[in-house]
Order: sequence, then structure tokens, then C-alpha cells
Amino acid sequence: MQFNSIFVRSIFATSLLLGLNSCTKTSEPEPSQPYDSGVFVINRGNFSDNNGSITLINPTTKVASYDIFQRENNRAISGGISDYAEVDGKGIVLVDNATSGKDLIEIVNARTFKSIATIPSSELENPRYVVKASTNKAYVTCWDSFNPDFSFKSGYVIVIDLVTNKVTKKIPVQRGAEKLILVGTDVIVSSTGGDNTISVINTLTDAVSQTVEIGRNPQLIGVDAIGKLWFYAGGEFVKYNLMSKSVESRTKITTSNPSKSPSNFAFNKDKSSILFVYSFYDAADGFKQKGETYNFSINNAAITTSKPFISKLFTGLATDPATGNIYAGFTPSYKQAGFVFRYQANGTLIDSLKAEIAPEGFLFK
Amino acid sequence: MSFIVYSIRCRVIPLLLGFLPVCVHAQEMPNKQIEEVRVLGFSTEHFMAGLKVQKIDSATLSRFQFQTLADFLQFQSPVAFKSYGSGQLTTIAFRGTSAMHTAVLWNGLNINNPMAGQTDFSTVPVLGFDQLSVQYGSAASCVGSDAVGGSILLTSVPQWKQKGFNLTVGGQYGSFDNYNFQTGLRFVQNAKNGLQFSGKTLLYGSQYNNRFNETERTDNAGRVYPIEPSETSQKGFIQDLYLRKKNGNLWSLNIWLTDHKLSIQPDVVDFREITQNKAYRFLSTYQLKNTNLKIGFVRDIIDYGKGDFLSPSHSETDRYIARVEHEFSFKKQNSFLNTTVRMGGEFVHFVAKVDGYGGGAITESRQDLFALIRQQFTQRLTTSINLRQAFSTRYAVPFTPSFGLEYSLISSEKNQLKLSGSAAKSYRLPTLNERYWEALGNPEIRPESGFNKELGINWKRIISTRLSTSLGMNVYHNLIDDWTYWNPDKGYRVENLQQVLAQGFELSGNVKYMKNSYLSGFSSTYSYTNSSQQKVYDVYAVDIVGKQLIYVPLHTVTSTAYVGKGNWSLNLQGLYNSERFVTFDHSGRPFTPTFLLNSTISGKIKVGKLQTNVIFQTNNLTDVVYPSVRKNAMPGRSFSLGLVLSEGFFVK
Repeated sequence: MQFNSIFVRSIFATSLLLGLNSCTKTSEPEPSQPYDSGVFVINRGNFSDNNGSITLINPTTKVASYDIFQRENNRAISGGISDYAEVDGKGIVLVDNATSGKDLIEIVNARTFKSIATIPSSELENPRYVVKASTNKAYVTCWDSFNPDFSFKSGYVIVIDLVTNKVTKKIPVQRGAEKLILVGTDVIVSSTGGDNTISVINTLTDAVSQTVEIGRNPQLIGVDAIGKLWFYAGGEFVKYNLMSKSVESRTKITTSNPSKSPSNFAFNKDKSSILFVYSFYDAADGFKQKGETYNFSINNAAITTSKPFISKLFTGLATDPATGNIYAGFTPSYKQAGFVFRYQANGTLIDSLKAEIAPEGFLFK
Repeated sequence: MSFIVYSIRCRVIPLLLGFLPVCVHAQEMPNKQIEEVRVLGFSTEHFMAGLKVQKIDSATLSRFQFQTLADFLQFQSPVAFKSYGSGQLTTIAFRGTSAMHTAVLWNGLNINNPMAGQTDFSTVPVLGFDQLSVQYGSAASCVGSDAVGGSILLTSVPQWKQKGFNLTVGGQYGSFDNYNFQTGLRFVQNAKNGLQFSGKTLLYGSQYNNRFNETERTDNAGRVYPIEPSETSQKGFIQDLYLRKKNGNLWSLNIWLTDHKLSIQPDVVDFREITQNKAYRFLSTYQLKNTNLKIGFVRDIIDYGKGDFLSPSHSETDRYIARVEHEFSFKKQNSFLNTTVRMGGEFVHFVAKVDGYGGGAITESRQDLFALIRQQFTQRLTTSINLRQAFSTRYAVPFTPSFGLEYSLISSEKNQLKLSGSAAKSYRLPTLNERYWEALGNPEIRPESGFNKELGINWKRIISTRLSTSLGMNVYHNLIDDWTYWNPDKGYRVENLQQVLAQGFELSGNVKYMKNSYLSGFSSTYSYTNSSQQKVYDVYAVDIVGKQLIYVPLHTVTSTAYVGKGNWSLNLQGLYNSERFVTFDHSGRPFTPTFLLNSTISGKIKVGKLQTNVIFQTNNLTDVVYPSVRKNAMPGRSFSLGLVLSEGFFVK
């Protein structure tokens, strides 16, 4: 029943949108809007301050517009921001408030950033990541609240119908559900709650069709140039074959410092190599966080860290799909504005631009 | 009144005072006797010459007896508070310093929680003490660690003048389904041999259900702040006993037990977050002639948990305190020359059982030796020289001297102009979290040290029998070094990284008019507080250096206006804070300036021996929307009615 209704509604909405598009096409050209292009920087904010924000950077003029949600709506995001994505002209902002039961999702017009709707706290708790599942449909992973001993409960994915801006379904998944990715008609959900599996959700049925063992706390990296899905799980980079639905290879980092751990994974422009931050807290030096950013080719049999790609640590990494430039978020502290360092594809520093508190994610448009 | 114990030749004094000019003066007149005087009371304020001390009168305390110290104090003095919400963690920023730089003393004992080195002012009710003084600036040489920005002095005082017993029952009910309750008994009994027995027993409690009936609040500019569902309950018990001998020797016992429980999201078990703070404070004081002995025990407990609160994270710290002080007071006959010397030592032993400290009990001992010297030279001139050296089993503590001076430029009956000045070193010992917290503490952390200089001028003028005014100004410069910072570069481990300069001034004025049974007045304080980090310790600190510290408003105004007739009065209180930055580099949106207005109508009704105090209070009169630290809305306008019944009686 529900499937049908969503299906019918989506078709109706799609036709409506197409209709609108065709309308505008025949009439005068659409005026450009302030958020039509640029790099959106997702600033998590300082958790207890509830001050997440989104910065828009014009990559050419380097002009930054700060806290664009507040700017367009005269109200602040009421929490930190865990993720932002665009789905069919709508921007979806995941808001994580320091108080349990006060998280929510803001839906904005992606071109104007004006608020369209809010998905209330009653529908979700601890939202993590958002992805487009199909036309006018978004999936959002949620951790749910914690157990009294701060362990993870089972996570879930909420299905948002972007025609009605309502939650239509809650799909139970593994503990600590994290990043997710659309591959064909499947959405694959990674996690950090202690489980070894990923969940595969069929977007046609909005139900988990399969769970696959990958390794402990599978962190999603993405699909490479030859269509292989990468994870970092159980201390290994895991290459997963989407066709055979099986793990193809597992590779540990060859390292002289086993206390280091990788984080903030990103592909380069043609998805032939993976970038990651590799760091540790040095107990011998006042627990100073030390490390660098490395990369390796997806075709390499071994992953070595003999030579850093960039000799710096970051809180977020992403590659501009248009230019191949690397955007790296840097957080000096959670009580002052962070920076975006820009590098050429070969790792040469271009410049650094001021963002807001804890720049961790990027969206290129 | 002189209570001469023994006389002493002046040549002894140089041994005690060393370099004090009094010696020269005294040696010039070797034949005149200087007598040691019996000490009455054992107040530390006596040695704070040159420092600004604001005493809150008992009528004001009584009017706001149902409030927390956080809600009360911000309207009384220009100190800034940082609040996480109504009934939630509220910490002080005194003269631009951090929450750890204000010493909170209860009958002379520092009661800052030793784990965090600060006091949550939302857990301290105004009912918990009899007297309140606010001391501005560094007084670490007088009171010890933490007195860097200022001190809050809470004191229990016996009411010797009262006759017989006095029973009190009171309650308050107000908006949001919030209520208070108290019952107490005070007594004074005279026994044989001139022995006097006095005491106070008080039981109090409050339940703040915070039923705001709204989920968000929108200010005039359209900014929306969510409301955080919360509930606070508080219980407390006070027992004071005083036994006074005819010769003035005094034994006292003070007990203050408190229990404060805060629930965030109280109605949803899955979301619920509970913080319970308990404090058990015991103090026994024996004053034998000019010697004062104190033995104290303070246990602080914090439990924090989620959901059903069955296995909360538990922290328990015990402090065993012993202090001995002896006071010499010498007064020259027929002269203003008066010397008071107090020498003493304190021993504090800490035992901390804290989940995050890695199992087992952590112990630390701290000792203090001090000499406080107050010297009055003439009717006009008084100085104080205070010296303190603290020791710890774990680190070296800087020597802390201070010098203060008060000079009456004009001292007529109707016109008084007083100048004051002080230069004082101060220190703050590391908190237990800073040292022993396994995850982020730093065993190598050092005490902070400060140097505060200030000048004051105070003018009092009695214009007529009906009209009197006063004006005052204090200017200060307080440089605090080795300021601890949870360094993000070191995974937020704490380090002695920063140096903070807090400088500013306070202006205060007061007008009082009385005619027959009418009374009216206005008092106001303006403070300018410029406090900023000075030291560059990494490349990103450049964005921070020289910028106003977070949550410290540059401008603060507190004002009180009142009119009254007979037993009734109307009281209006205003508070203005200029914008407050929430990030070190001032990026993002600061909190907008706020102006809050409260009012109380209070009075007394007497029927026979039964006295009823009526307090009708309106908080946030103009229903201003303003945020807590977490950007949630603070409460809007609220009303409450309080009644306190008291009746005196005698028991044979």
C-alpha cells in the first residue's frame, strides 16, 4: 500500500516537475539564484554550542558567504550539522542538537536556501548522512538515541518523500548507521556501532534486501573508476565487487607506526586513487595529534605510507569533480572558525579560505 | 570593649611586622603602652583594605530568598553568568575571568567543586546562608586559591539578639508549575554561667517542572530559539549551632547538605539525561580567645547518567580541612594607631574517587601558610599587607603577597571621600580534572598566577536627613599567566598555554530618599570589562589574540529602583549585557545584547505574634527572548507568589 502510494505520488510529482520545467523552458529563462553554483562547506559546529552552519565559497572569486541558512531564513540552524545534500532541487540539512530529542531536518530550496519544510524531532534521532535514493526521495541514516551505557542501539534509515516533505518509512539497519551511497537501485549503508555488516536497501521497496559481512565498523569510501566499492573496515581497506556481491581484496596499510589510523577518505577526480588522513596522538609529545594525508592507487597491491601526499592533518577531504582540486577542511579548535585549504590534484597548495566552525564536508555545484 | 588580655611592649612589634613603618613610629615613643585587643569575630574582610567589597543587605537577601544565587547575583553586581538553561549549569565570569577564577567561600572554606574548580551557581540557593559579600579583584593572599577575579563570601551568622524560638514555614508557587518550600527554626537560649546557645535548623526544597507550554521562542528580530525540556529538583538541610561563653569564646557547628537534580528531557526515558550534584559540608569552629580553630569536611558528589539513571557515572571528592589562625591586635591608647596581625596555616587533604581518573582513589594534600597584617595609621590611613604561601604534594605554588591601602581624603559627617588601591598576586591551583582526568588531564599542569592592580575612589554624601547619595569608581588591571587551555592541537589535553589580560572599570551610584515612613532609592552599576588572550602559542592563535573572551560582555549595567511605605515595597531590577561572543575569534554570530527586567512587591503582615512575609515576583517582565549557552531559549515572563510565616515563642 505504502509502496504504491509513494510510487504514484512520485510519478505524479515527477510529471508535475517535468511539466513545470517544460513551462519555464517555453517562457523566459529562469533567473539565476544565489546558490546555483559554488562549493558548499558543511561546518559541523561545536557540539554543545548548537552552532553548525553552511558556508558557500565561490571557487573563482574566493568570496565566502557565511551561515547561509541564517542569512536566508533569519533563524539559525538549531544544532550542529552532520550532513547536507541536494535531491531534486531541494537541500536537506541534517541538524544534530546537543539535547536528545531535539534533532531535526531542514528542507530548503537548494537554489535560494529558503526554508521549505522541517522534519520534526519526533521522526528521527541523531541523523548522520543523507543521500538521494530516487527521484524526490531521500534516505537519511540515524543512530537513534544511545543506551544508558552510551552503547549504540540499532540504527535506522528514514525515507523522506520530497513531494510531501514527510517521512514515509523507517528502515531498521545495523548499529551506528553512517554514510550511505546509491548504486543503481540499491542504497548501501555503512556503520560505526560495532557491527561487521553493511545493509543493502532496495530503493524500489524501501526495505533491506541483504546484509553483507565486510569487517568491523565498515566505513564507506565510495565507488572507484572501475566500479568497485571501497570500505575501511576492521583495520583494512576492503574492495567490494558490486556484481558478485563479495569482497575482492583486503589490504592493510604498510606502516612503521601501528598507532596511526586512517580517516576522512576521498577519491581523486577520476576515482583512480584514494586520499586519506593518517594520524595518531603522540603520547611522547603531550598527546599532540600528528599525521599527514596520504594517497594510494586503487590498482596497487600494497598501501604504503612512505611519502605523504600532503603533510597536514584535516577534518574533511573532498575532490572538486569539475577541476580535480582537493578541498581540505581544517579545524584549529571548535571555538574558532576553521579553514578550507585548496590543493591542486598533484597536492600543490593553492590557497586557504576561512570557513566556519569545524569544516568537515563539501558539496560541489 | 577593649578586652585587654595582656600588654606588650612595642619593641616586640618589629619582630612581627618587620618592615612596617609603624615600628619606626612606635619606637619614637617607647614609653607609651600598646595593648593587645581581644578579637571580635573572625572576618577575612577585615584584611581586605584597598579592595572593593560589596555587602548585600539582609532585607534584599530575604526578598529574594527563593532564588538561586545565579539568578540573584547577576542583578546585584556586574558579574557575568554563563547559563546552560533555566536551573542548569550556571558559572560565573567575574571581572572577565573564567569560572575557575572566583573563590566561593562558605564560612571561610572554599567550596568550589574540586574536580572542575568552579561552582554551579544554579545549585546554590539564597536560603543557604545568612550573609553575602561580593569581593572584587584578587584576594588570593587573604582567601587562597581561585580568588583571582573575585570572591563570593557566604556566611552563617548567629542571631544573638533574637529571644527564644522562632519558627518559619514558607512556600512559593509560580509560573511553569515551579515551587519552593522551606521550614526552619531559629533559637537563642541563655543558660547558667552566662552561657548562650543559639542555632538554626532549616529544611528547604524546590521543584521546577518548567512547563513552558511552548517548544520554541521567537525574538523581535524573528530569531527562533528552541526550548529544551528540563526539570530541576533541589533539597537542602542546614544546621547551625553556636555556643558562646561569657568570656567570648565561641564554638560553632555548621552543616549544609544539598542535593540538586537536573533532568533534561525528563518525560522521554530514551532521551533523558540526569545530572545530580550533592554536597555535604561540615564545619566546626572553635574560637578560643584570639585563636581560631577550624575543622571541616566537604564531600562533593556528581552523578551523571542517561535514561533510567540506574548506573550513572559517579564522582566523589572528599576534602578534609584543618585551619588554625591566631590574631594579634594592638591598639595604642588615645590614638588611631592600630595593628592587627593574623597568622595561620591550613591543611587540606583531597581524596577523589572519580570514574574518569582511572580507578582507585587519588589523594593530594595542600598546605597554606599566611600572615595577614592590617595597619591603621591615622583616622584616614589604613593599609594591609597579606602574605601567603601555598604548598602542594604535587607542584610548586607561587608566593602570593598583596598590598592594599585606604585613605580618607574627606571624612566629615556629611561628606566622605575615600581612595583605595591594591596590588596583589594571585594563584589558582590546578583542578583535579586538570591533573588526574585520565583522558585529557595533564599531570604536569602548573598553578596559574596572576597580578592584579586596582585603584578606587568612593564618595558618600549626606545631602539632608532625607537624601543621601554615593558614587564610586574602581579601575583594575589583572594579568593572569599560565592560564590553562584544553589544547585542540594536543587532542584537547590541558596545558598552561595562555595569558589573559582582564582590565576595566566599574562605576556605581546610589541615591536614597527617606521621608517619614516612605523610602525610595535607585542604585546602579556600570562595568566595562575588557578581557583577552595575549599570547601567541600557535599559528591559529593569531586569530584569537587581543579579542574579548567568550561570554564576557564588554558592557554590563545592573540597576535597582525601589519605593516603599512602611512594611511594603516595590522593587524593580534591571540587567543589561552587551553582545557576547561565542567563539574565540569572534566568527559567527555573537549573542545579541539583552536587557532583563524583574520586579518584586514585598511586604509584611503582622497578626499578633505571627508575621507573614509576602513576596510577589515577576521575572523577565518584558518577556525578552534570549538564548542560553546552547542557543536554547531562556524562560519568558514568569510570576510567583511566596509566603513565609514566622512566629516567635518561648520554651521554659
